[in-house]
Amino acid sequence: MPEVKQEPQAPLLPGVVAVALSTAYLIALLAVEKQPLVIGLLAFGIVAVLVAHYMDWLDPVGRSFAEREGVLSAYAVLAACVVAAFFHDNHFVLLLFVTVLLYAVATLGLNIEFGYAGVLNFAGASFFGIGAYTSAVLNTYTAVPHLLVLLIGGTLAALIGSLLLLPVLRTRGHYAALVTIAFALLLKTFLEVNDVLGGPQGMQVKGMSILGWSFNDNFEIGKIEMSFYLNYFVISMLLLCGTFVLVRRLERSWIGLDLDAIRLDETAASCFGLDIARWKITAFVLGNFVIGLAGALFGMVGGFVAPNNYTFADSLIMVSILLLGGIGNPWGVVVATFIVVVLPEKLQTIQEYRFLLYALIVIVVLLFRPEGLLPRPVRRYFPGGRA
Amino acid sequence: MSRIVRQLSLFFASALFVGALVATAQAKERVKVGFIGPLTGGVSVNGIGGRNSAELAVKLRNADAKAKYEYELVVLDDECKPNVAVQVATKMAADKEIIAGATHYCSATAIATVDIYHKFGFPIIVWGAVLPDITYRSKYAEVHRVNGTMIDQNDANAELITKLGFKNVAVIHDTTDYGKGHNAYFSKSLAKLGGKIVGTFGVTADQQDFTAELTQIKSLNPEVVYFGGLTPIGVRVRSQMDKLGIKSVFDGTSGIVSEAFIQGLGPLAEGALAFREGASTEKLPGGKFFLEKYAAQKYDNPPEAYGAFSYAAMDLILDSIEKVGPDRKKVIEELANVRDRDSIIGKITFDDHGQNTVALITKYVVQDGKFVEWDDSEYATGRRKLPGQK
Repeated sequence: MPEVKQEPQAPLLPGVVAVALSTAYLIALLAVEKQPLVIGLLAFGIVAVLVAHYMDWLDPVGRSFAEREGVLSAYAVLAACVVAAFFHDNHFVLLLFVTVLLYAVATLGLNIEFGYAGVLNFAGASFFGIGAYTSAVLNTYTAVPHLLVLLIGGTLAALIGSLLLLPVLRTRGHYAALVTIAFALLLKTFLEVNDVLGGPQGMQVKGMSILGWSFNDNFEIGKIEMSFYLNYFVISMLLLCGTFVLVRRLERSWIGLDLDAIRLDETAASCFGLDIARWKITAFVLGNFVIGLAGALFGMVGGFVAPNNYTFADSLIMVSILLLGGIGNPWGVVVATFIVVVLPEKLQTIQEYRFLLYALIVIVVLLFRPEGLLPRPVRRYFPGGRA
Repeated sequence: MSRIVRQLSLFFASALFVGALVATAQAKERVKVGFIGPLTGGVSVNGIGGRNSAELAVKLRNADAKAKYEYELVVLDDECKPNVAVQVATKMAADKEIIAGATHYCSATAIATVDIYHKFGFPIIVWGAVLPDITYRSKYAEVHRVNGTMIDQNDANAELITKLGFKNVAVIHDTTDYGKGHNAYFSKSLAKLGGKIVGTFGVTADQQDFTAELTQIKSLNPEVVYFGGLTPIGVRVRSQMDKLGIKSVFDGTSGIVSEAFIQGLGPLAEGALAFREGASTEKLPGGKFFLEKYAAQKYDNPPEAYGAFSYAAMDLILDSIEKVGPDRKKVIEELANVRDRDSIIGKITFDDHGQNTVALITKYVVQDGKFVEWDDSEYATGRRKLPGQK
């Protein structure tokens, strides 16, 4: 065992304060509806972050997150639960929240491919769609238990994605991207002409139920009526936690080390005896599995699947979440998903101009943070110690 | 005893006074109504036209001194995408302050959201989507539609050719949702009127050569060839009919109402029939009124084809709220009783599925290289005759 020199750990407080403040801000943002308030709150958020940046308040936050990740992750989960509890009877906000969680899961899958192994995938939404269609078909025509349906959804996405392995392995960079774009078009056309799958009009998906507990019914705790989306929140949160831990462990392990090496320099990596094909396949299949898993659950949440949900444009949204958050950083993914999913929704009040403002904000963010909001930090070989 | 009476009267007097104060301060109760349409993306012109029209209905109602409530329109954008539509529909339906909504231009978004409206008991009137399933797949009391569907189009079609004395019809349709739907609804309504389908042929949407199908059709000797599909193969079918010497009437659907159909066929297009949901806004019963009011608002965009339907849907919602008050359940009951209601798009009658049954269909015939409305054409007056017409 290598001797790790124990230095005093970074204080926990800045991280906790940051989590608490962002939770309060998120609740406020989700709760307000009036146009001036929404715009004001957004402006306030941007200014607050800028001020914190120039006052150097963000560094201690970053340090405490880097060194006390385990504890702070628990606080973050707690914060999410607080937000959900606050909106316990608000169907819409919970739906939005669940959407954020599942998109975050899918983008974490994309992160394994894109961020670690460097395998470009511009068909994220297609694999998401394969998962969703799996749950649509299985829930309609079979009695497969719904938790199993999720796993089958992920597996199918991984299997169908395997069709792409050969072309993805033989091509590099832009050409590999082209292969996945072609696949996205192929899948959409296939769904459109296929009558069993509902054709261009799509098909309904039955809601989830586990052991007789129907996820699509409101329920009561004590005397308080809860939104049925709270069911989905719990399972989505579990899925996100599981995926997050998986991605984090993967990154920390020697597999993550190999993936990094392959992304940075294939030639060098193969000189050191790394099997390029093997690790690319691992990352691609695993990533698609995670995306499919999220898609299968999202199909049941939304209750409807149609080919138009899973277009190339939707894949680009996933990629932009990854880029906005900072490639390779799971925390960045989570933060960016909130921005990309919640912001256009909160801007509904300005109607047809909302995407203009939204796009502008994204461009400005990338102008000042070209590596994303939270760029991936330098690898920490000894967690708990200094990098 | 008298003290209690005095106190009580004081109480009531002050209550009345406060009530009067509130009444003057806020003359009318505010009621929220909703609109959903595609405000961004490829079909946004239609969505914005619809939005403006719904807004116009609300503005006119608020300007009306007789209105009991002050209305506020909540507008949400579905981007013509089912997943986004599910989100915004949940948002609107879950907001208990919003009483009813005029929703959806795209069929894919409407069919994706009807279950949500049903679940939340939120009354809606579809203002633009044409897929029959939206109203007919399930029997939801919450879901209504003012515009017509494929079914109405084919009813009008079957009625016209029966009236012209044609009985035997051969059907060619493409195998997309569009073609298959048309085939199903046309066959049904023709059978009701006593006509006979002598043969049905499904073709793929990119087929080039129809000799096989048309040779069979020739031997069946129908008076009419019904075509359910879009312009490109419509042009091919019609020209190959000519090559094989089939003299039947070419009877198309909304899919062939385009300039390209006439350009592709030249003089051969003459006498082709076609049908379309809705009508040009000027031709609507209240079209002139609507266009004048719309122009007075100086919107940047025109109302587009379905603007008048959006206006009519919103107007019907406002009428219902005026009558029964801002209560979702009562509005649903009220909408179920809509019979022969006058509107700018003509009379509205909802059937048990909430579908407007007196939906407007425009009949077209190609005359001298133009799609002319049937009633204005020389074919209707008898100056020209379709092939085989008695």
